[in-house]
Amino acid sequence: MNTNTLRHRLYVFVLVVPAFIVLFGVVIYPFFYNVVISLSNMNLRHIRDWRIVGLDQYVKVFTEPSQPDFYAVFLKTVIWTVVNLLFHVVIGVFLALVLNQKEIRGKAIFRAILILPWAVPQLIVALTWRGMFNYEYGAINLILTQWFGLPAVQWLKQPLEAFIAVIIANVWLGFPFMMVIALGALQSIPQELYEAADIDGASWYHKLKNITIPLIRPVMVPAITLGTIWTFNNLNIVWLVSNAGEPSDQTHLLVSFVYKAAFNFYRYGYGAALSIVIFFILLAFSLVFMRSSKATENVYS
Amino acid sequence: MAIGAGLCLLLSVLAVPACRRSDDGKVRITIWHQDRIEIRMMLQRQLDRFMQLHPEVKVEQLFKETEELRSGFIIAALAGQGPEIVYGPSDQVGPFEMMNIILPLEDLFQKDWLAGYDPRAVTWYKGHLYQVADKLGNHLTLVYNKKLVPVPPQTDEELIAVGKQLTADTNGDGKIDRYGLTWNYTEPFFFIPFMTGFGGWIMDDQGRPTLDSRGTIGGLEFIKRIRDVEKIIPNEADYNIADILFKDGNAGMIINGDWSWAGYLKAGLDIGVAPLPKITSTGLWCGTMVSPKGFSINVNVTETKKRWVLELIRFLMSEGSQLEATKELFTMPTCLAVQHGDFVRDNEILRNSQIQIDHGRPMPVVPELRAIWDAMRPSYQSVLAGTMTAEQAAREMQALALRRIKEMNE
Repeated sequence: MNTNTLRHRLYVFVLVVPAFIVLFGVVIYPFFYNVVISLSNMNLRHIRDWRIVGLDQYVKVFTEPSQPDFYAVFLKTVIWTVVNLLFHVVIGVFLALVLNQKEIRGKAIFRAILILPWAVPQLIVALTWRGMFNYEYGAINLILTQWFGLPAVQWLKQPLEAFIAVIIANVWLGFPFMMVIALGALQSIPQELYEAADIDGASWYHKLKNITIPLIRPVMVPAITLGTIWTFNNLNIVWLVSNAGEPSDQTHLLVSFVYKAAFNFYRYGYGAALSIVIFFILLAFSLVFMRSSKATENVYS
Repeated sequence: MAIGAGLCLLLSVLAVPACRRSDDGKVRITIWHQDRIEIRMMLQRQLDRFMQLHPEVKVEQLFKETEELRSGFIIAALAGQGPEIVYGPSDQVGPFEMMNIILPLEDLFQKDWLAGYDPRAVTWYKGHLYQVADKLGNHLTLVYNKKLVPVPPQTDEELIAVGKQLTADTNGDGKIDRYGLTWNYTEPFFFIPFMTGFGGWIMDDQGRPTLDSRGTIGGLEFIKRIRDVEKIIPNEADYNIADILFKDGNAGMIINGDWSWAGYLKAGLDIGVAPLPKITSTGLWCGTMVSPKGFSINVNVTETKKRWVLELIRFLMSEGSQLEATKELFTMPTCLAVQHGDFVRDNEILRNSQIQIDHGRPMPVVPELRAIWDAMRPSYQSVLAGTMTAEQAAREMQALALRRIKEMNE
């Protein structure tokens, strides 16, 4: 190895080390420490004298009777994630397609307005939506009853309605991200492709199917993957809109189970095990989704 | 996973001390608390005065939300760090003691000094003193708008009668615009007065839950009755909705805590505070949980700094500081000289607050209280949603509380 190569490697090493130290401190070490806690009996009574107890906490995650049931919460979390993502992507891409039209004037203003939900702090969004879903004074029921003559809905008192309410709040909050990503991807598509398609007499639908969607896919797939992870783990909206699981603990997601176990009941070992389970669920989804959607393949090749 | 990772990260790498000798050579003391803005402003004035008296000390207050304060202090103290002083209601003493993160105080404060305070303001747990409080209460009372309610109700029947008079469709659109009474009836903490009014309580002396009782059933049925039959409370109200209804004059009475009175007065409302009514059928007053709010000391505080921490607590607990807080915030002082002094005696709000405190019971400090709150919430809400009877709810609460306590203590 000559001096130049050695110097080059040293240079690379020096550049990488700070990032690695930060990564180690905030991701790698906490992750493995979390694994260790998940194998321990750490809780309120064993906070200082905890010991490794093997897979006990994992067994409890899957077998311990809980209220509500773990599997029911898992199913609800999957439904929550799928429905949210579906609306985020469909609304986001639709609005991006509209904003990408040359004929639209005042694009910057529309873009700013549509990004607004994303810019407002989640706490404000959640509490505002909670107020809007109030049975007697909320804007949603006032619109339903006074404008459409429909009966008022008990949004926050019935399990299904409360679940729909938190989904509505999160759809409103989440579509701007997908819109911004899709808009960026749309603007990077070479205009010549559309011109060539026009010459061939392609319809709007064929251009969407054969040019737009394939070319925004490499950008959208990672965004959807990221959106899935965020939505699956979104504690704030569900916790705040439903006021910590109202009604009757029926609007919990898996992540709020972790929160309750760790921070309300001091069951750190159990909470850590549950968080590892969530990690593997999301890891499996990400790997399968990235592979099946061929997101890492070069679209132009 | 993010929570898990965050928990581990904080547990493991929390290495930034919240308290140390600062760059300017001053001894730095930090207080974590959960108090609202008016109290923060007043506390800052008191801290500024303390720092003028002791220029070698720098004191900083840091506000944290209730849960954030609790979990943050646990994490920091376990990592050997954290604020020197943690301030809050006495129910945090149980878990903090169990984790061995707060100091026993019985050898740090002289008995003569402690004798100058209401015995309910010093929190003993497992034979040790862990908290000294400057405020007593954190309790619920009946707050009423004097323009709408000239004389507050004394009994449940009077409450219903006054409530019916007030509840009205004022603009004739077929919808009720003003209710007699409101409160945050999604939270079990606000259910306690009704439970006690019907003879119930949450746990026995051994810390075992006692939720499957006539008191629970009676309280639940009473709330259902005044909402669905008498219709004197809104169909649905959380804290914010109830607060806004009362502030806007759309509710004549509200059940709210001592923390709210100063805000209502500041908002220009002509309010009165009255004890919660007596339940005619049982002859019992609706008693609330009464909790001191006070100071505990981090177990990691250094010997050299301990002297200043104690000095600061004595200063904040002093007669002058407490009188200032009482006049501004209408909170019940713990210093006997102030509690029995002219201001409290001559102030209608504080007099009635004192009566309500006397009707109440101390909030348990055992960690199991968390399990009980959590067990009460779902069934309580189910009754209000009409999906469960009061009897079923009482049974479910008890069963869930037992299970939660078992899980916590395994």
